[in-house]
Amino acid sequence: MSMSMSMSKSRSMKRTQPWRDTAIPRRPPAALLFTLPPMFGNLANWVPFLFLLALAMKFWMEPKGYRLRSTILKLILAVVTLGAIFFSYGTLKGIEPAVSLLAVLVSLKILEAHTAREFQVVVMMAWVLCLCGFLLSQDLAIAVCLFVAFALLIAALVQFHRGSSPGPFWLPLATTFKLLAQAAPVVVLLFLLFPRINTGFQFRIGDLHAARTGFSDRLSPGGIAALGNSTDIAFRAEFPDRRTGPVGPMYWRGLVMWHCEGMEWRAPYGPASISDSSNGYPASDKAVRQRITIAPHGARWMFALDRPFGIPSGARLARGNYLYSVQLIRKTRRYEVLSSTEPVGKELDAYERREALQLPASISPAVRELAASLAAHDSGPRATVNSALQFFRTQGFRYSLSPGEYNKNDLAEFLFHRRTGFCEHYAASFATLMRLAGIPARVVLGYLGGEYNDLGGFFLVRQSDTHAWCEVWIPENGWTRVDPTSVVAPGRASQDLSSFLAGRVASGEIITGRNAFLTRLVRLALVSQIRSTWEALNYQWDTRVLGFDADVQDVLLTSLGLTNSGPLPLVMQVLIVIAALLIIYAGWMQLRTRPRADRIQALYEGFCQKLARIGVSRDPWEGPSDFATRAAKSLPNESERVRQITETYVALRYAPGSDVSSLHKFAKEVNAFTTHR
Amino acid sequence: MKAGKFALLYPTVSFAGLLFVLGAMWYAASSQNNPAVYLVLFGLTAVFLVSIPHTLLNLADVTIAPESAKPAFAGEEVSLPVEIMNCSRTTRRGIELVLPGSRGERKHVDYIPAGKAARVTLRFPARQRGEHRVGTFRLTSIYPLGFVRVLKRFASSQTYLVYPKPSGDPRLPVHRARSPHSRPQTELGEGDDFAGVRAYVPGESQRHIDWRAVARGQPLMTKQFAAEAEGSVHLDFSALRFHGVEERLSQLALWVIEAERVRRPYSLRLPNTDIAPAIGEAHFHRCLSALSLSQVGERA
Repeated sequence: MSMSMSMSKSRSMKRTQPWRDTAIPRRPPAALLFTLPPMFGNLANWVPFLFLLALAMKFWMEPKGYRLRSTILKLILAVVTLGAIFFSYGTLKGIEPAVSLLAVLVSLKILEAHTAREFQVVVMMAWVLCLCGFLLSQDLAIAVCLFVAFALLIAALVQFHRGSSPGPFWLPLATTFKLLAQAAPVVVLLFLLFPRINTGFQFRIGDLHAARTGFSDRLSPGGIAALGNSTDIAFRAEFPDRRTGPVGPMYWRGLVMWHCEGMEWRAPYGPASISDSSNGYPASDKAVRQRITIAPHGARWMFALDRPFGIPSGARLARGNYLYSVQLIRKTRRYEVLSSTEPVGKELDAYERREALQLPASISPAVRELAASLAAHDSGPRATVNSALQFFRTQGFRYSLSPGEYNKNDLAEFLFHRRTGFCEHYAASFATLMRLAGIPARVVLGYLGGEYNDLGGFFLVRQSDTHAWCEVWIPENGWTRVDPTSVVAPGRASQDLSSFLAGRVASGEIITGRNAFLTRLVRLALVSQIRSTWEALNYQWDTRVLGFDADVQDVLLTSLGLTNSGPLPLVMQVLIVIAALLIIYAGWMQLRTRPRADRIQALYEGFCQKLARIGVSRDPWEGPSDFATRAAKSLPNESERVRQITETYVALRYAPGSDVSSLHKFAKEVNAFTTHR
Repeated sequence: MKAGKFALLYPTVSFAGLLFVLGAMWYAASSQNNPAVYLVLFGLTAVFLVSIPHTLLNLADVTIAPESAKPAFAGEEVSLPVEIMNCSRTTRRGIELVLPGSRGERKHVDYIPAGKAARVTLRFPARQRGEHRVGTFRLTSIYPLGFVRVLKRFASSQTYLVYPKPSGDPRLPVHRARSPHSRPQTELGEGDDFAGVRAYVPGESQRHIDWRAVARGQPLMTKQFAAEAEGSVHLDFSALRFHGVEERLSQLALWVIEAERVRRPYSLRLPNTDIAPAIGEAHFHRCLSALSLSQVGERA
């Protein structure tokens, strides 16, 4: 049975050396490459570059047998990098310095690692680095990178323990894949059911992380246009009750600006909670239910279709009828909200009327004159609104993403000279004109439109969809939406900005170098297909994974009826299920790998056992015929049958052309062989 | 060979590291209430858990068959060839064979294909003369991730012989009384005339090995030189004058080797054994076994 084996003497001697395959120690650094992306942009710039440098050094050093040996040099490097981290952040507390420190330590460890034990240490540190990547960023693209890193680290371990086995390079990857596939149900189980206990002692998230995205509570000229090129996701919206969104343009209400400074508008500092919706809920058939997944933006506003009236938990309805989160939105958050397309609120209280008519002192006489002329007919606010819109429509106003710079006092400049602006210019100037004409008005900042994703069945709203519009008070209707931009650029309201721009680019209206190329690219069918698939995946990631926090888990556990017994029994149940799963895996693998039973041999061995029970046991070296002769001698009564069975066995085993029927005959003979003393 | 009833499973040292990492991950996840971090934590936990049955089954249907160990002289190395057989239908990887009694001697086999076997040779020092039990073999594996180790024990009743360490005066005893005419040969086997080579006998001096032949890739051979043939040598335990039993046995062992080397028939007389004069490998091993198993020491 002995055969040539991989265990030649020389190889067994090499066992004492750290690596049996020189490619092995280079695998963890290769896997670590995939932990780099989240570091860029989130950590001090030199950290990822140092990390990259260490990985490159390892690749260069390993084949030459170099490594970081000197303890003094290691200490110096550690102290220098620690100092550099402190210098970069001004502190060692917080996530970013901690992750930087870990990244630096891992790079030093990589340069130093030499033995098998150190190999395991590097792999485990790298796993922690994967986790740190998620602390820095939770993008799907980052998640994919980190998953690749995680899997490659497992593959590196598997390869390491395989030693110098021959075979194609993907074999360890196949083993890794098998492990991951078997682990998947366990992960799902743990993720859904394992209690998320909040330890309470939080480490603070650095300021870097809480950077605000999207618009601010100040509407200044050019502020939204700056977001026009941002493809960052603001939020996603599903309509659980219907497949597609409501008919007509989708105005997503963000926040309401009350304070006018001419071209610049501002939201109130501390929005007071009001009960705008106390007038009663609209009929349920007018209500639109939305499920919104909001991307973290570091501020408090939450979005809903114009206008929300149901208040999700953890939110309030602010003056001006917009949603306002109790806490800063620093994590992906999911909520359900009801909106009504009908105007709500039929009365304007004195405070609101005063606020909605507030004006800055610095309004030029020309603008005041214009406002007065708009309101001249004295045929009610509706006519004034229409004549203002007429003014924008007929006086050669142009819609542009790059309208040039405006100051907050440049109202006259905009209205009479340049007449080029983006939505915020139109909303701000229109609302100011309305106030000048004596009509209560306010500016609403939010999003318009959204891109429908077929696969995910949701609308994707990007920062570039940011839009500003106005609301004026018309006594018989209440607050009424007026969008002056739609008068200037009629197409804008019916589609999202990028497709609107794309259309304009195609018709030669706007040509802007890089952007034009991008928009043209977007129009390719395949690219848009890939993009929409990616967006759908992204949505699933954000809602199913990132949205599944302790609160959502609580809801799930309650709906499953698992919360009554407390966390400990739940943990036990989860562990029991996992144990059962592992036993199933083990049984399945055992079944697949155990040697195929040799039926003839098994039958013959059964026969020998029967003989052994009556005192004639076969010696290991004894051939069947010799044994039969001996057995027949000591058991004269059975000699005939013993001889018969042995003959059949020998024939089955060694004679050519034995068939199934003779096997059956043999089985029958052995089974019929009963022993009587 | 019959294995112990259950394969044992226990954590390795790196499992402590894994526990620490999982603890740190859990702390980060729970303090941040971050589902993505929980995902990494649960992913690593699940992969570890799933690797347990893989490790456990890595020794399923793997069995060992120790071959007989060649006798060795005390102070030398015993080499014990062992065949590790993989009867399963899949390749088994990362298998280690350990013999705990022998300073933890371990042999690593990277892989054994399905239905094949690997042959490893355990080497450990032979300390005392006599017959020794091999003890219990341990077959272990930490494949694929190295966080748990599976252990299968194979109890073996096999024994190996250790001959006494040859030492003392290499000159063969001279029996003046029996052959008065012969001249004492002080340097037997050290004659000038080269008389050919023969197979090297373990334990004998390396001075006469034909190293040039070894360099040509031939097995170890001992050069023989013609010396004046004497009569047979009588090696008698009781005729030796020094006190220590082990010293006497060592001297006798050396003489057995020397006599074999110079091709002189020799007889051996121990207090309860008498071996007639003869020559040849069988006789050689018979004499050394007798020396090895001699109970004189304990009785005297």
